[in-house]
Amino acid sequence: MGTENNGRGEPVVSVQNLGIAYETRTGDVNAVKDVTFNIYRGETVGIVGESGCGKSTLAYGLVNYLGRNGKIAHGDITFQGSSLVGRTSEELRRLRGDRIAMVFQDPMTSLNPVLRIGEQMMEVLTVHKGISDKEAFDRCVEMLGQVNMPDPARVMERYPHQISGGQQQRVVVGMAMLNNPALLLMDEPTTALDVTVEAAVLDLVNVLRKEFDTAILLISHNMGIIARVSDRVGVMYAGELIEMADVHEIFKNPRHPYTQGLIRCLPKLGRGKAESVLYPIRGRVPDPKDLPPGCLFAPRCDYVRDACNETRPQLRDLSEGHVTRCIFSEDIVAEDWTPPPGLIPIFEEQTESDEMADTLLSINNLQTYYPHGNTFLGFGEREFVKAVDDVSFDVFKGKTLGVVGESGCGKSTLIKTIIGLEEKTGGDAVFNDTDIGNRVSRRDLTTIRELQMVFQNPDSTMNPSYSVGKQIERPLRRFKTVPQSEIRNEVIRLLRAVKLDEFYYDRLPRQLSGGEKQRVGIARALAGRPDLVLCDEPVSALDVSVQAAVINLLLEIQKEFGTTMIFIAHDLSVVRFFSDFIAVMYLGQIVEIGPADEIYKPPYHPYTEALLSAVPIPDPAVEQTKIRLEGSVPSPLNPPSGCRFHTRCPRRSLLPNNGAICEQEVPPWRDVGDGHRIFCHVPLEELRAMDPVVQAPEPVAAD
Amino acid sequence: MAVTLPTPNESEQVYRPPSRWEKLKERLEILTNSNIAIIGLFLVGFWLFVALFADNCIISPVQCLFSEDWEATPWIARYSPFETFRGENLKGPSSEHWLGTDRNGRDLWARLAYGARPVLTLAPASIFIALVIGGTLGVVSGYYGGLTDEIIMRALDALMAFPQILLYLVIIAALGPSALNIVLAITIAGVPGIARLVRGLTLDIKTRDYVAAAQTRGEHPMYVMAVEILPNASGPIIIDAMLRIGYAIFSIGTLGFLGLGLPPPSPDWGSMVSIGKSFIQAGHPWDSMWGSLAIASIVVGLNLLADGMNEQLNRYR
Repeated sequence: MGTENNGRGEPVVSVQNLGIAYETRTGDVNAVKDVTFNIYRGETVGIVGESGCGKSTLAYGLVNYLGRNGKIAHGDITFQGSSLVGRTSEELRRLRGDRIAMVFQDPMTSLNPVLRIGEQMMEVLTVHKGISDKEAFDRCVEMLGQVNMPDPARVMERYPHQISGGQQQRVVVGMAMLNNPALLLMDEPTTALDVTVEAAVLDLVNVLRKEFDTAILLISHNMGIIARVSDRVGVMYAGELIEMADVHEIFKNPRHPYTQGLIRCLPKLGRGKAESVLYPIRGRVPDPKDLPPGCLFAPRCDYVRDACNETRPQLRDLSEGHVTRCIFSEDIVAEDWTPPPGLIPIFEEQTESDEMADTLLSINNLQTYYPHGNTFLGFGEREFVKAVDDVSFDVFKGKTLGVVGESGCGKSTLIKTIIGLEEKTGGDAVFNDTDIGNRVSRRDLTTIRELQMVFQNPDSTMNPSYSVGKQIERPLRRFKTVPQSEIRNEVIRLLRAVKLDEFYYDRLPRQLSGGEKQRVGIARALAGRPDLVLCDEPVSALDVSVQAAVINLLLEIQKEFGTTMIFIAHDLSVVRFFSDFIAVMYLGQIVEIGPADEIYKPPYHPYTEALLSAVPIPDPAVEQTKIRLEGSVPSPLNPPSGCRFHTRCPRRSLLPNNGAICEQEVPPWRDVGDGHRIFCHVPLEELRAMDPVVQAPEPVAAD
Repeated sequence: MAVTLPTPNESEQVYRPPSRWEKLKERLEILTNSNIAIIGLFLVGFWLFVALFADNCIISPVQCLFSEDWEATPWIARYSPFETFRGENLKGPSSEHWLGTDRNGRDLWARLAYGARPVLTLAPASIFIALVIGGTLGVVSGYYGGLTDEIIMRALDALMAFPQILLYLVIIAALGPSALNIVLAITIAGVPGIARLVRGLTLDIKTRDYVAAAQTRGEHPMYVMAVEILPNASGPIIIDAMLRIGYAIFSIGTLGFLGLGLPPPSPDWGSMVSIGKSFIQAGHPWDSMWGSLAIASIVVGLNLLADGMNEQLNRYR
């Protein structure tokens, strides 16, 4: 494996045939097997794979943080020339010193909530290095500046909860960099963050690598993030490293069926359901206690041959710097792949005539406020969180409206109001000529039946106490969709509709995987044969291969039953793929709404533009304009005057007087045509003149 | 390395729904998987056994309890708890009287064995009633929140403000010592704690998506509470109830010690300790010792059982 050296000297860390096992009562479980790779100075190595593939275990193994039952089973880790395996923790501490730093997913687990940011950062320097307080303070302020923290000296005085999540993560990264580590491990560093904040943290990763010449190992399940920051990418599957190559090589010329499958099941930004289709990987990651004898991926592989089931393939060099664990890598070229029969786009290109379908749901000036805090015995003025403020839109029969926006923009409250879990404060909501401005408990059974919801979290969507069948039966009984005697058959029919076999009827939720639970949730929502299904981030908690299958399932159901859907997601690629219309929300208001393909090209609302610029695209060849938003989302308790986006808007300069009008007046709705409206002071002509944010290297044929 | 194994094909595996027996076995495994729980089960099981088979009452429980003519013959207790042996008072353990005799010449083993009966009926009964009342108040309080929650919880706080022992004394002193009043006192003292626990669990569970799913089906709040919330709170509630039964046994012992337990000459562990304590210095510690040991062993047993179950439940989650 010396071929990847490229004259970069000794690797900072070198992992050879590493195996990590956890001791359990039923014997050792090998979480990581035969992983071999090097990381050099100034290089970012991305590790990608679905959950349960051993990515995090690998990172913890590198810092020997495996817990009491974890151990390194075989292999070697060499850090700056000395082996880390088989040493006592004291020796390890001395060897490693402060040369390896780690950044976790949730910044609040790394920050002490009762200490000021300055205190915890300075501690790193004063306690371990004996640097004076004054000097440490200056170093910390300087470091906060380097991690793009606005107003570093003031941030030093704050407590962790007083800064936003993105800023917290920057502090954590800054703290990790204080000792100038040789190796920085980042385990899903942006998974808990919003897309615009994520983009800023990823920019920071790139800066760190260049400025500090640090070796970075970045772990993520998100191919887009990996594509944006990595130099080389390792793909892990069931504890094995199955392919590793340069980032461009991995995405353009993947040579392991799993890597190819991962790329194929992601929606491409800008592609819709009419022209493309997602190809899920069938099956699931094998249980580490019950592995197939040959290639671990063989049971799910489209190219599987007899040889695959006989011996477990070893990592081998394919070309310069490209290693793979597939016996047939030379034969499988991604472009030559033909989709299995049956997987073709199921939606026809929309014709202009059916654009004017019937309106199913009409929302006008809807407001949902939450009372905030307690007033003393009703005295004093009550404050309100304006979660949804003056939102209007129509949903057409058989179409999908996608709603995007960062967390706290009010998209969940919006659909909770529609379904009746929250009470509206003002405005109207009319569904099928019925007023639905009331709570669900005051609605009649027909309205309740016709409005159903699919939830976000697969682990809590099902009641753990009852079997799958019981839970799908309940809405059937309640809505009397079918006669009593037919209930069991109807449940089985629904299970089949969501691609689950009959035997799932008696299974308990804990026996199901996340994707299966989500399917049952969908079946339950469909049991009443609803007209409108509200989907609250139904796929965001799922692995990409499962996500593709669930999206395909929802599309098939929509096609078959003509169901109308409102689809919430924070992933712009998924929303674009799934929806006919898209509404972009910011701080309780819709800032742009229109047909899906119109949203993704100019004219944009400046916020949409920033979102598109931030979304991680799983293709390193795509060029994105770099637009980063300043500051954090203002409090919905007291939203900014005029245009709510004015505090962060990068396009104010287009207006005279640097957009003084944005602070004073509520912007007008600018009608672009085709139902595409933009809520902005900037004239349409100027918005039209903007460059597209996403530039594919060559024109995409299908568009 | 290449062993011939059948290719696992998870989706085509034949799935058989678990039979009733398998479900029961799975439940029991929660107990038998933990060593602590097994010790606890053994201790509690021992006293249950002793209580059940102290005499032949088990053959015909109805007659035994309600018929005047029926006289139970002691089985493992060997003697009646009321039978006095002349000249045998204040004797140490012997082959005749395994644990010795008390000042009236009654067999201590018989007193102990029969004494297990009131303990093992009154304590679970009172906790069961407290569970029904406290559970209902807790789930209603947690589910509705707002003013309902405020009123229920403040009322229970007021009840909690009394020291428990004071509460017992007031109730028993006012109503007189009897089995029913003991149950009443323990129930009243137990309700606030259970309500608090259930309320806390409800607050957590009501944020789950499946509760929202039930609400979007327009289910009645009663349905949501009884079907969606309570079954998922049952684990911690059952474990808490075990501990509470232990405390209730302590309380019954305390009441007996203070002379507020079952009226004499009924066999009662608490009064055994109380009466026996004046003979400890006279070289006859047996009454107090056996009484204390009995109370301690059953409470420890229940605690171990609860701990073991808790450990297993956590492992399941």
